Amino acid sequence: MRSPSSTRFGAVFINEVRLNSKRVAPYAMALLFAGNALLWWGWGPATGRGWATNADFFIAGVLPVYSFMTLPLFTALIMADPVIRDFRTGIAPLIFSKPVKRAEYLLGKFFGNFFVLVCCQAAFVLTLFVLQAFSKQGMIVQDLKVFPYLKHFLVLVVISHLVLAAFYFTVGTLTRNAKIVYGLGVSFYPLYITYQTVLLKGLPSRWRSVLDPLLMNWGKIDRARSAELLNQLVITYDLMLIANRAMMILFAAICLTILYARFAIAERSGKVEKFSVLNLSTASERVYYGLASFTPTRHDQFGSFESKEKAMLSGIVLPKVIRVSEGFSANLKKLIAALGVEFRLLRAERSLIVLIPLAIFLSTLDLAFYQVVPEVSYSATYASSTANALLLFLVGMTVFYTGEAMHREREVGIEPVLWATPAPNYVLLLSKFFATLLLTLSLISMAGLAAIAVQFFRGHNPIEIRAYLMTYAVILLPSVVFLGSVSIAMNVLLGDKYLAYAVSIGTGGGLFYLYSIGHDHWLYNPLLYHLWDYSDLTSEGTNQATILIHRLYYLAIAGASLGLSHVFFARKSTKTLRVDGGLSGGGWAILITVGSVVSAMITGLMIGAKK
Amino acid sequence: MLVIIELKKTYPSGVQALKGISLKIHAGMFGLLGPNGAGKTTLMKIVATLLEPDAGTVEMNGVDLIARKDKTRRMLGYLPQEFGLYPTLTAEQMLDYFAKLKGVTERKQRRALIDALLEKVNLSSARKQRLGGFSGGMRQRLGIAQALIGEPELIIVDEPTAGLDPEERVRFHNLLSETASDSAVVILSTHIVSDVSNLCSNMAIIRQGTILAACTPRQAIDQLKESVWEATVPRERLAALKSKCRIISSQTFDGQARLRVISKGERPGEEFTPATPTLEDYYLDLVGQTERTN
Repeated sequence: MRSPSSTRFGAVFINEVRLNSKRVAPYAMALLFAGNALLWWGWGPATGRGWATNADFFIAGVLPVYSFMTLPLFTALIMADPVIRDFRTGIAPLIFSKPVKRAEYLLGKFFGNFFVLVCCQAAFVLTLFVLQAFSKQGMIVQDLKVFPYLKHFLVLVVISHLVLAAFYFTVGTLTRNAKIVYGLGVSFYPLYITYQTVLLKGLPSRWRSVLDPLLMNWGKIDRARSAELLNQLVITYDLMLIANRAMMILFAAICLTILYARFAIAERSGKVEKFSVLNLSTASERVYYGLASFTPTRHDQFGSFESKEKAMLSGIVLPKVIRVSEGFSANLKKLIAALGVEFRLLRAERSLIVLIPLAIFLSTLDLAFYQVVPEVSYSATYASSTANALLLFLVGMTVFYTGEAMHREREVGIEPVLWATPAPNYVLLLSKFFATLLLTLSLISMAGLAAIAVQFFRGHNPIEIRAYLMTYAVILLPSVVFLGSVSIAMNVLLGDKYLAYAVSIGTGGGLFYLYSIGHDHWLYNPLLYHLWDYSDLTSEGTNQATILIHRLYYLAIAGASLGLSHVFFARKSTKTLRVDGGLSGGGWAILITVGSVVSAMITGLMIGAKK
Repeated sequence: MLVIIELKKTYPSGVQALKGISLKIHAGMFGLLGPNGAGKTTLMKIVATLLEPDAGTVEMNGVDLIARKDKTRRMLGYLPQEFGLYPTLTAEQMLDYFAKLKGVTERKQRRALIDALLEKVNLSSARKQRLGGFSGGMRQRLGIAQALIGEPELIIVDEPTAGLDPEERVRFHNLLSETASDSAVVILSTHIVSDVSNLCSNMAIIRQGTILAACTPRQAIDQLKESVWEATVPRERLAALKSKCRIISSQTFDGQARLRVISKGERPGEEFTPATPTLEDYYLDLVGQTERTN
């Protein structure tokens, strides 16, 4: 009997595991999940409430939350492009010319990547398992357990993500567009929350359990019960859960069956336009390529080249142009040109078609369908509400599209051409920064206009444009400036967009966790999350001055980030800090970085003194 | 004039790509000929400011190209071996962007330049077409168009005809020879001997990071005057001939070997007839000799 690894399915499976083992993302994910487990263990709810960190109910309670918190995004990251990669790298024809069946190929790809995903996810549960050997003051640890970790992980996490993985893999493979899958990954939370509130909320609890893929409605335990009792609880799987898991596996199988039926190995030409317009072999095209040109080289005579080939030339003379490559004005024009192209390329991102309407819809959902209680005025409440709701989208969009913009040139292969032009480094960097900023500002404007429209239709008058402008200008604008510049710096310093995404998500998740447990100090809360209300923006509030200093503090950090990005940008222009009697680009960058750091320190101290 | 002195580059993997290269390149078309992996692209990347050498200098008209990359880029037109284009932009938009980055700020001038460039590379009718739908030849022609923007004093084209069909290759040769003027240095890096013999007034042969020869194609061919012979012989005689003369090429069919050999001053056999030497003979002989020496 053949060993499974020597079958075609096994070969595809092993190759996928091998390819993933050479990527940074799986390791970064595993590290992130292990860190997450460490947080749950040491600083989670167990310690304060007397729950054992290896109690069955604790393990079964933590895993669905872990599964919900960050995993859908990572599932999208791993499962989006295994097949797309083969087409992109051009290896697809080599594979499909072998006697590999469609099912072997697709299942090998799917399970190879899903195995890697599960290995990454297992870092969480493995860390919890290892941490049984440790304890700290006030922490209860029961006797060593093995089976509950394995059982709950497989049932509560792996099956949930099997269905998500199958869905993302199917969408990615059929559309051959990883960005659509990433868009789905990003929009998972809003969609899931909408699904919970709109569809599941009104159903009986048993149906809520059956129809919830991430099991957030299953096995609600009264946590007010004594810790001793909870620590003794043994979690068993009821019929609802078994039905839910069976349904998820069935759904995954349906997705893969659809994929099998619809998958085509043919290359896609995409929108190839008017190929026939250019006929490469007609003599009417002015450039001459007569028979003589095709005679073997060794028979060519150098002397005759002069006379023959020169006669073939088109004779089109390029007009004389004036080039201005130095000075502020010339470079500003280059920046505007680069910004125009970067913004045009960002606008062409297909994920925006999903993301922008979704962000507008969700940021105005509460205002449109629920009772609005005016805080200072209706407009102030509308503006504050949309500003808060937009924050998550702005973070996601800034991080994602900055990564795309920063690495696009390398990905499409235009980098050597672009880097050989006399555009200063700051033009290349700032054009990406401003393009992303412009994109997020467009989203803010559209969400603001939608909120104004809702306010108008609900008759919540008067409409005060100033309230919107002030809220967005003070709360959102500096936040996106900060996020954009830090994202640029991260992409430059880390050199890999997926690593930058993972670090951003990890840092963002960690910070939001800290904020949620009350650690939301102004010095590490760049988005002012939970730290402001509308009255603070006016003279009526108590925090107006602090907010102003806070904004300056983060703008200074933004300046330092951009300065650092310039210093460490891979494209170098001069070796020295001074050229032609003035500062070089690198010199200016260091000066701006130092100035920004000093400003950040001063404003940081001012915030520290106030809070 | 472009002057390269003792240029060295070793990659972190340990591969010594350039082992102290020195060259003087005058205005006009200069061919840099060498097999794959010879160090051509490394050399081109260093001159095009995209790679930092470990040692050595590159100067053009008194400007240190290594230390003053900003100045270099103002005089540079570069067409890399492999490059991409933004698939969602049109040919016109792409050239407009590069023209702006190269400092052609005056709108009317820019438009006239783009029109002429598109006409020159025969892409006028595809000006509004998205680059994602361009064929390999069209992309290459757009590549040379962007390299020509702003009358560059130094033009570097790295393996421009690799992958092009014969018609596109001739088209490209025409474009390049039009580009070469009295004032600009045009470096054509290639492993295709006929590209150099067709186009270049000067050339160098590079192999394993070392310059093997630097001369004009005519001088190279003259070195083989009355030394190249051709014959069709039985395959069994190959071994005996190998000890007698240098075999440049042999094609075997139907038990016979069609040979092209070098034998200076002496006819290698009665069946051999004199042949006109070519640059390819010179190149193959030189590379073969170096291999034997190594």
